[in-house]
Amino acid sequence: MREVAIVGAGMTPFAEHFSLGIKDLLPMAFAECAASVDKGLDVADIQAAWFGELSTTDGFPSGILADTCGLLDVPVTHVENACATGNDAVRNAVMGIASGFYDVVLVMGADKVRESASKDTFWEWAGMTRDMAWDYPLGLVAPANFALHVARYLHESPATREHMAMVAVKNHHHAVSNPKAQLRFDITVEQVLNAPMVVEPFGLYDCTPQSDGAAALLLAAADVADRYTNRPVRIRGVGLGLDRVMHQHKRDMTTFPATVRAAKAAFAMAGLTPADVDVAEVHDCFTGVELISYEDLGFCPRFEAYKLVEAGATSVGGSIPVNPSGGLKAKGHPPGATGVAQCVELFEQLRGSASNQVDGARIGLAHNVGGPTAVSAVTLLEGPAAAGRART
Amino acid sequence: MTHVAAIGTYLPCWGSPRGRVAGGDEDAVTLAVEAGRAAIDAADGGDPAGGVQRVVLVSRELPLLEGGNAAVLLAGLGLDPEIEVSERLGGAPAALDALTSARPWTMVIAADVQPFAGAAAALVAGSGLHVVPAARLARSLPVRTRSATGEVHDYGDPRLLRERGVLASLASLGAGGADKPLALAGVDAKQAAAVCAGRPPALPTTGASSALFALAALAESRWSGPLFAAEQATVSGVRVGEGVAAVLRGEPSPRPVPASTFTPGKEIPVSLAAYDRAFSAKVRFEAGRQAETGELDFPPRYRVGQDGALHTDYTLVPLPRTGTVYTGVTVRIPVPGLPTPYSLVIVELDEVGVRVLAPVTGASPGTAQIGDRGRMVLRRVAVRSGVPDYGYAFCPDKPEEAAA
Repeated sequence: MREVAIVGAGMTPFAEHFSLGIKDLLPMAFAECAASVDKGLDVADIQAAWFGELSTTDGFPSGILADTCGLLDVPVTHVENACATGNDAVRNAVMGIASGFYDVVLVMGADKVRESASKDTFWEWAGMTRDMAWDYPLGLVAPANFALHVARYLHESPATREHMAMVAVKNHHHAVSNPKAQLRFDITVEQVLNAPMVVEPFGLYDCTPQSDGAAALLLAAADVADRYTNRPVRIRGVGLGLDRVMHQHKRDMTTFPATVRAAKAAFAMAGLTPADVDVAEVHDCFTGVELISYEDLGFCPRFEAYKLVEAGATSVGGSIPVNPSGGLKAKGHPPGATGVAQCVELFEQLRGSASNQVDGARIGLAHNVGGPTAVSAVTLLEGPAAAGRART
Repeated sequence: MTHVAAIGTYLPCWGSPRGRVAGGDEDAVTLAVEAGRAAIDAADGGDPAGGVQRVVLVSRELPLLEGGNAAVLLAGLGLDPEIEVSERLGGAPAALDALTSARPWTMVIAADVQPFAGAAAALVAGSGLHVVPAARLARSLPVRTRSATGEVHDYGDPRLLRERGVLASLASLGAGGADKPLALAGVDAKQAAAVCAGRPPALPTTGASSALFALAALAESRWSGPLFAAEQATVSGVRVGEGVAAVLRGEPSPRPVPASTFTPGKEIPVSLAAYDRAFSAKVRFEAGRQAETGELDFPPRYRVGQDGALHTDYTLVPLPRTGTVYTGVTVRIPVPGLPTPYSLVIVELDEVGVRVLAPVTGASPGTAQIGDRGRMVLRRVAVRSGVPDYGYAFCPDKPEEAAA
């Protein structure tokens, strides 16, 4: 199996891009990715592309990508795997190179959530994830899917709404310095706790905003990466995990087995452990989900996630900084783009050029969970400084 | 002569002592199912549901004029889908008529949504409380009319209705003389008191169900005598005699309707193909029991074994209707097409290890907590593009305590 590296990364700001369509966002992200390639990119070098998009804004996704990015001569594959779409697109592209099929491929992710009236979004997105006869009519809107887990988690674990609020405060603070983030302002624990309730136990500030955006990664086989950069970011591990789809079939709702499975696969492939991770971009669509994910990813023992936020361990400057970009919570969450953008952030973190840099970061982890809560993807990256001494 | 073996009643928990209000998830069919199940429980004869051979539903609030209420009614009652269902448009006199014309093993259910909600059901059997038809008069005094499209016209003359409607009809039937009615259904309490002997039972509705609520009251008090029911100027009367009918009332004390917001928006889409596939398990509350392993699947499903073999051989079995909340949430943001706030819970059913996702009913949103006990009841969980979508909701045992 050939090793794969990221040699370029770029993204649009995440925002309510009312004035930009998917056909604008895709070439914008692609061009920024191309510009990030240290030794330059000839678009003709790209042999294939994978495109993660959860919805199908303005037409069928593969064709839109090929058309808008000038890639009409290469195969383009649409990846859709709920909120794990982005990191699963990365995983599929990795297989394309690792198998020896291609040397240079493009991964993109994008979504236009704000293309619909905000009040219609509930039913449109629920229709993509729920059983039409059994669950859909009950009004199991996106926050409710995760709130069912977090309500039980708060019941069984010592964590409280205050700990969830600390996650929101941390991620908002991280986003302040990120020019690509959607919500670039600090908030306080009191503001989070006193915000209007969305779906108990989530108040407004416990929830990700609705976002539009696109992100792009240029992947190359490690043995040709030096054509593009002397500082490639190696993709050490990828993993995808699934779980029962209906919430009533999940025996223990204080954990996401999909994440546990994805992480196990990615760590096994990388030959790494959670203790090796220096910086992580974790799926924090709702604050409580970040807490549960600390445990599922192995950053702390079960029901001890609250200790990490209490100690500031997951803030930049702490022992395991999580979501230095602001995370989904403050950077934004256009689902197809989210996982790809996590890798854009980690590409910069591991090359020492991030806007909210984690000092000396060597190993990065990107994580999505969605479906809701029935699929997860984990990607493990390693920065160039450590490339020489990494295990293979 | 009709023999009534059992009577079940149901009143929504919402409203005031003056009258009950149907929940947003209730309609005449769900009210009828609650009353009918109470009657079956009251009869308590081993397999009473198996004894019912016909169902008559009397209401002026049938949810669907086309599209069918009968299948939902039978499924909710746990009755065989081959049983005959008659849907009769009518008020209190029609309910009494349905009773006196019923053959043994007929379930007569009467349900009302407006102006006050309630339902009552009488199980006609081979023995029980004797009910004999006594008088009937159809006269026209259409002080209130409703067209096929639901448009209501009120003439607006209550005294005319009283004098030339109920009283004139009763007089012409000779019901005002020495043999005064013990109860008069279909009218308000004041009017009933003016006509009846002694102190007539207070009735929670004035529509079709009021006749059966009156019968329940007479059955409980063991009074024998005339029972009349009126609707505008039409009157029916029966004589209640010897015999005993078991009565089971599902009548929680009334609580104010919780504040709720309805946000208009697009119609909630429905797939009738999915509706059709799910119907039996969903409305009968039945799981699929795998033939080989005995495992229960809810919803029922095909399985694939470790050897790749397809297992489609499952039988539908009833699920327990009691359980405990495993987790729950309350949706407070406006969701178009649903009244908000609303609570959703995952309930672990007793003994079988099966969990269900269900809306909470019969309790204020936000009051159901993890660990709360309750039962699963048929409700109209949504109206999707004109289609009432029935399923099971969780009704906490002690909603008042949870609210405290």
